[in-house]
Amino acid sequence: MSDAPAEAPGTDAEAGSDPDPDSTPNAGPLGSRSNRELIAWAAIGTLAALLLGGAAFPNTILGVLADVITDKDTLSAALRLSVPIAFAALGGIFSEKSGVINIGLEGLLIISAFTAIYVTDVTGGIWIGFGGGVVASTLLALLFAVVTIEFRADQIIAGLAVWLIALGLAPFASQVIYNGPNTPTVGTTGSIYVPVLAEIPFFGALFSASPSVYMLFVAVAASWYVFERTAFGRWIRASGENPKALDTAGVNVSRVRYVGILVSGVLAGMGGSALSLDLGQFTGNGPTMVNGKGFIAIVAYLFGNYNPIGAFLATMLFAGLDAIQTVLQLQGIGLPRQLIRIIPFVVVIVVLALVGRTRLPEAAGDHYESGEE
Amino acid sequence: MTSADRARRVLKRLVAASAAERILISSAALGLSILLGAVLVLIAGRMTTCTASDAVYYFGTGFCYDPVLVFDRLFLGALGEPFSGGWSPEGQFSVTLRETTLLMFTGLSVALAFRAGIFNIGTQGQMVVGGLATAVLVLRAADLVSGVVGAVLLIPFGVVVGAVFGGLYGSIPGFLKAYADANEVITTIMLNFIATGVTLYLVSGAFKDPESAANQTVPLPEYAQFPTVLFGGRQDFSLVALAFGVLAIGGLYYLLEHTAFGYDIRTSGLQPDAAEYGGVDAKRTIVASLTLSGAFGGVAGAMYVMMVLGTFQSGLPSYGFDGITVSILAGNNPIGVGFAALLFGVLKSGTTVVQFATDVPPQLVGVLRGLIILFVAMPEFFRMVGRRVVDPGSKPVATDGGPAKGSADE
Repeated sequence: MSDAPAEAPGTDAEAGSDPDPDSTPNAGPLGSRSNRELIAWAAIGTLAALLLGGAAFPNTILGVLADVITDKDTLSAALRLSVPIAFAALGGIFSEKSGVINIGLEGLLIISAFTAIYVTDVTGGIWIGFGGGVVASTLLALLFAVVTIEFRADQIIAGLAVWLIALGLAPFASQVIYNGPNTPTVGTTGSIYVPVLAEIPFFGALFSASPSVYMLFVAVAASWYVFERTAFGRWIRASGENPKALDTAGVNVSRVRYVGILVSGVLAGMGGSALSLDLGQFTGNGPTMVNGKGFIAIVAYLFGNYNPIGAFLATMLFAGLDAIQTVLQLQGIGLPRQLIRIIPFVVVIVVLALVGRTRLPEAAGDHYESGEE
Repeated sequence: MTSADRARRVLKRLVAASAAERILISSAALGLSILLGAVLVLIAGRMTTCTASDAVYYFGTGFCYDPVLVFDRLFLGALGEPFSGGWSPEGQFSVTLRETTLLMFTGLSVALAFRAGIFNIGTQGQMVVGGLATAVLVLRAADLVSGVVGAVLLIPFGVVVGAVFGGLYGSIPGFLKAYADANEVITTIMLNFIATGVTLYLVSGAFKDPESAANQTVPLPEYAQFPTVLFGGRQDFSLVALAFGVLAIGGLYYLLEHTAFGYDIRTSGLQPDAAEYGGVDAKRTIVASLTLSGAFGGVAGAMYVMMVLGTFQSGLPSYGFDGITVSILAGNNPIGVGFAALLFGVLKSGTTVVQFATDVPPQLVGVLRGLIILFVAMPEFFRMVGRRVVDPGSKPVATDGGPAKGSADE
């Protein structure tokens, strides 16, 4: 970071040493909060303008866009696309709030996406496969936890390693087992259809979705509850903001961080399993089917300011864009396919540039060593 | 806590470790990764099927893949069979040097940024952009000149074009970081995806070779490609390019260690506050180091186009990501990058030999890459092991990053 005097680390340190982290949820540079709100309002404003424009001129490109946005299929695609990103983002929040930056979310998604298909293929049970993916991701997260907590590895480099290991391991295993980077297709999780409610225009998509979408809703609510209402949530926050205080209070910081990382493994694993079981196949060419979703998840929780609900809404913004671009591609209008595909990545950069520096938990990235040994 | 703080701490730890210790840790990391890789090969060999006669037996159990054979092929194969007589530079060894050359540039790219306290994950994208620019502009320029004069003019021109465009692309995350505080790890990763998408669009549309079914540019004429000296032309390796690489290593070493700008970069990486206090313009240094870092990535792309393919094709190999491993393994030292690049050149070139000789999937090297990074990232692990082996009773000292480093770190 630039470390200009006005925003030198010292400023942050003072904010972070505040005895009650609750009182400074947005203690970052002043601009960051208003920019974040600005983007949110800009997104809503653009949407409203598009819809109004579309209603006024139904036969123009605006009309087509408005149709696409208000289509039930778009919402349903956005929900589907947001599942892996939002799960990974929730996981990232648990890990980073506890003081360990988990940049390996992408790797956790990759390993669980592959394992879910493999276990489903072997056992025949889709939900057993789903569980298998979660276990694989949790084990990889455990490795990451041991390496960063016990052996004080740099969190960013170890996170990169987790990504690269999974990026090599999943196609390697697929090649060994299935003689190709792509697995054969297995069954999918299907979808739950709520009669009557699913008929509602647009919002009906909420009642005719894959089980993983409902699991995501539950996970978002549960994460919010854990952080806001439980002692464990407070420990996690303290472990990232002021580990010394937590230590003094008699709570083992390392143990809290282990749990934080393992929860991130479980959640990212659910996202990865849901991703591949939604299609019934794992594709491992190039960046694999995960294709940057883990990194978008990081931006989503930064944008959502470490709030599970905020992260979910940010994810819906990215996933919504992705859904719209998919529909536009199918309709063959406007921009060429390859360019439409990069829109979400461009938006991530623009959002990050505008939100700028998000205030990381004070001790995130630091190894914590309790005095006694 | 910013990423710069973090990077600074890593660098501090790396600098605190003596050069000898660093070499020891890197070698241990490499050895351990190979060992784990061997275990992985054995496990994979149990998961696949083969006939009993094809299997190898260890500890009374049959395995379909033989790790000894895999690593024998990987290393000896890549060196062109030095022990079986009839060694010639024409064979696989020149592939190894070709890969080494490319990895030198991507490794230097990552190392330079790292020394400034910046994680440049975007070398891959910078290489792609530089490569396409070189392919397109050299092709245009090739119409103007020809023959020996052409080669003398076009090759440096192509390298410069790659450097300029890679540098411009690298300056984007530089500006975003310096003036908008956007985390460079994420912006560079996003820019990689964007570079891939945009170049695919261009190379399948405006710049597409109409004669070819693949998404590629019109091939460059022979005189606009690196000449093969001493080595046969079959393996697309040029000693001239390798010489460029060695020069670049020397140049970056000199820049970092003996110039004022290099001093700014190093102090910004180690002590941004002190650097700022000492009059270093932090924002300018960030933009400059990422631009220069991108330039090295862009040159790697230019080399790939003018030495290996002779055209730009969508889907470049992941030299950029390998550059991260090369740099981390080298402790971000330019001279170390030379050796680490050679090692990874061996691994990459050996992969094809392994593919011919065995059924083991080539993605194995990708796994090794991740494992090596993981182990190099945890020097403490090796120190603990070392302490237990050398002096079981001794207390760790604070200066080597021992437990005395408390939460209040530094």
